[in-house]
Amino acid sequence: QDPTAAHYIFQDDPFLMPRNAANSRLFSLSKESGRNAAKYIIKHFPQYFDKTFAEPNIPCLMPETLTPQIKGLSEEALKERIHLRRVKDSVDLFDQLIQAGTPVSLETTNSLLDLLCFYGDGESTPEKEDLEEPGENASEQKAPKREFQRGSQPSGSRWRENNNAERIFKIMPERNAHSYCTMIRGMVKHGASAKAYDMYIGLLNERHKADVHTFNALITAVPYLKERFLERWELAKVFLNHMAQQEVQPNLLTFNALLKTLRRCGGVGRSVALLVIKEMEALDIEPSLATYDHLLFIFYRGADLCPSGIISEVLDDVGKRSFTPQDLDDGMDFNISDNLLCLSLGEKCCDLKDIKLAYRLNKAMEKGDNWKFLDLDRLNAYWSKFFSLLCMMEQIDVVLKWYKEMSSSLFYPTPKNILDLLQALDAANHLEVIPSVWEDMKQLGFNRRQDLLEELLSLMSRERHPDEIQLAFAKCAEEIKAVHEQTRREQSLLEWTGSALGHVALLFSRAGRTQEAWYVNMMEHFQQINRIPTDQVMDEFLNCAKQTNCPDEAIKLVKLAASLGLPSSQRLKNRTEKEFELSEKQK
Amino acid sequence: STSSVLSTEKDESTASKDSTTEVASKSQESTAETPKQKLLDIIGNMKVEVSYRKKLQQLKTREIKKQATNKLEGPDGKGSMLQKTTEDTQRGKPLSPELVEAASAVASFLPLNKKQTESELIAQLRRHEETTDKQKKGGTINIRNVISEMAVKRQSPAQRGVRISNRISLELDEDGQRIKPERLSPQSSDSRSLKVGRRLNIFTKASTETENALKTVSSPTIWDLEFAKEIAAITAQPPRNGFEEMIQWTKEGILWEFPIDNEAGMEDNAEFHEHIFLEKHLEDFPKQGPIRHFMELVICGLSKNPYLSVKQKIEHIEWFQKYFEEKKELLQEI
Repeated sequence: QDPTAAHYIFQDDPFLMPRNAANSRLFSLSKESGRNAAKYIIKHFPQYFDKTFAEPNIPCLMPETLTPQIKGLSEEALKERIHLRRVKDSVDLFDQLIQAGTPVSLETTNSLLDLLCFYGDGESTPEKEDLEEPGENASEQKAPKREFQRGSQPSGSRWRENNNAERIFKIMPERNAHSYCTMIRGMVKHGASAKAYDMYIGLLNERHKADVHTFNALITAVPYLKERFLERWELAKVFLNHMAQQEVQPNLLTFNALLKTLRRCGGVGRSVALLVIKEMEALDIEPSLATYDHLLFIFYRGADLCPSGIISEVLDDVGKRSFTPQDLDDGMDFNISDNLLCLSLGEKCCDLKDIKLAYRLNKAMEKGDNWKFLDLDRLNAYWSKFFSLLCMMEQIDVVLKWYKEMSSSLFYPTPKNILDLLQALDAANHLEVIPSVWEDMKQLGFNRRQDLLEELLSLMSRERHPDEIQLAFAKCAEEIKAVHEQTRREQSLLEWTGSALGHVALLFSRAGRTQEAWYVNMMEHFQQINRIPTDQVMDEFLNCAKQTNCPDEAIKLVKLAASLGLPSSQRLKNRTEKEFELSEKQK
Repeated sequence: STSSVLSTEKDESTASKDSTTEVASKSQESTAETPKQKLLDIIGNMKVEVSYRKKLQQLKTREIKKQATNKLEGPDGKGSMLQKTTEDTQRGKPLSPELVEAASAVASFLPLNKKQTESELIAQLRRHEETTDKQKKGGTINIRNVISEMAVKRQSPAQRGVRISNRISLELDEDGQRIKPERLSPQSSDSRSLKVGRRLNIFTKASTETENALKTVSSPTIWDLEFAKEIAAITAQPPRNGFEEMIQWTKEGILWEFPIDNEAGMEDNAEFHEHIFLEKHLEDFPKQGPIRHFMELVICGLSKNPYLSVKQKIEHIEWFQKYFEEKKELLQEI
């Protein structure tokens, strides 16, 4: 792992390396969208791509021929269109066949129902969509699958009343279990949970047996069917008992669906979840990452709950195995780190156990193929949280070591990370590192963030430091001042706050830059923004003026204090008279 | 932490302080909404969230700053606090007027600088109010959890809504009953382990024979195919280095497979000897004469030709055969 290199997909031109998280996301998305644009062109203008130069031919770079070959009204034609996933054509052909009186076999009708239920009556490949929405799907790396995946998101298409699937279902002369099952699955997928339940009752009335996938779908629909927690659990149990009665063996997805439902069952879920896990064990079903994710969510949602040993047991299991994806939610599991952070935020349990868990989690992630479960976004979030945890729990040299290794290669620090780092430096009294942190901030593009600037300035100006450090601080302050003053076209003017202004003045005073401290900061700006400089600032300024021997400046200060009506003006005046040798005119 | 500021005046102002805290608690009861409502308002509105976070942060930093300033610069600390309270008035919720009056009454009692004491007291009361409010809503920790959670993650609004409603049920069950933070006794915390415990007892493990019998082979439906695709997509990450990229390209067919197979893409299932030893196709030709000579040259050329498949070579030879057949008739005619 090269600590200075960005991710491989960005290694093209050093100028184009992303510097912060937003840029890295933008760049990777733009790379993907470029690919998609190329695919779009090949798909829509295949006539320009018909020369095959490569030998052997490379099929994935050539346009696909997806036009149905079989013409005419026949079941074969219908089957072909179903196979090519052309929803509208299949439905039209089916209707034509029915009208012409040709019987369509049950199997074909069932596969048509499958197609309709899966796509929820929408088309399988939305036209012209790929170019305009490169950023919609957060997981941009799944771009070639994106067309299909869009159809499978439950928030996408909804189940319309009496759509083609229902209509065809009704006019079917005979239906078997498969018909019912596929209808149930489709309804659950597209949000018509109540209808799915009715369909299931219909299936039971016809004395059919549902298959395991249907039951899984029904279990996932439970939170939409009932409101109260106990009722939800009871309904889920009903489904499970039916499964046992119909001799349908549950699989991993069944239990994952059950746990997912239990996530939304509050306290009931907590009391029951462990029973579910034991049941899985008894049936020799190995839990997947999604299982652990649901489990941790159920148990660790609040910081009030005392952490039990579950999380370390989970980590044991996770660390031992190399996982293969088996459930759609497996990618979410590294939000284990969420829970770790919750643990440490609960200030009751700030013991080293937490950081040890984090290290163990890191090791688990490096094992085998486990790293693949985190895409770029989540990886960034994961390392960001890890770094926050480090700042809170570890010694400063460990923190700095990780910071050097990780930032810009493994992850891009978020503003919160920089804040945590500053606080850790503060706690460890290493404030001389601050100028380099400021450099990093500039590179990351955080140099206009009000909160970070405040923190930085207040840390720098709190105490008096040895001279070189003070000079470095003053240089930072100057750059910050420049940030406040320049406006580029797109950015609005960054407002000075009173404290920021005071800090900057302080820093300048301490470094002996009287001119700047006075003219640029105090006079104009304080009055402009209607703020009052603190006494500390005034005193420091006097000190500075004394050092650099500018009695004029001191007098200006006194005048300013008087004009603002500060209570300390008298004191300042006395002090000025005492410490400076003033001519009569000046007095 | 805050007591350090007041320690200098504790002796003098304890009596009057009590009265102000009494006034404070009375006013708070009158303005309380239900905790759930407050929480919902806060969480549902993202804009409010930002200012709250800032407020929390500033609370935290203010406390740190105050400690620092108090240690180092005694009299000046009060001045900076004065500045901070002016910031407060711009941002925080206003204290009730009774409190303010009470604070000024206290200040007038004390021989020290009136303005400063008054502002200190007001700041202290404000802090009391904030922390009481927060703890009423279920603890500073929870809100910080919730808000930091929301600030870091970027999700679609729908997902965020689900997440928020999940978080709300943190505090109060969706039923409306307040969950009791569980005070686990050491016994029950031990029993919350993955390894020991009862099970649901709904299913029985099927024996392997019934399992095999139950597995009816049916062609994968569209559900199965799509599911398989999505599962594969979970771990489809971009390549981390050049080797992984080359692996991916080889799988897609963009790169040649190593060791190089120079028959890749050609569907010729013939062995090499069938390409080279083509004499057996010459049986139909005369054994001597110019035609034979010619055909042997043809065969020699064909055997060295790597571009044609065996079938094509045989076709070549047959074409010649047909050609000479026709020509033979012509020749014999002559």
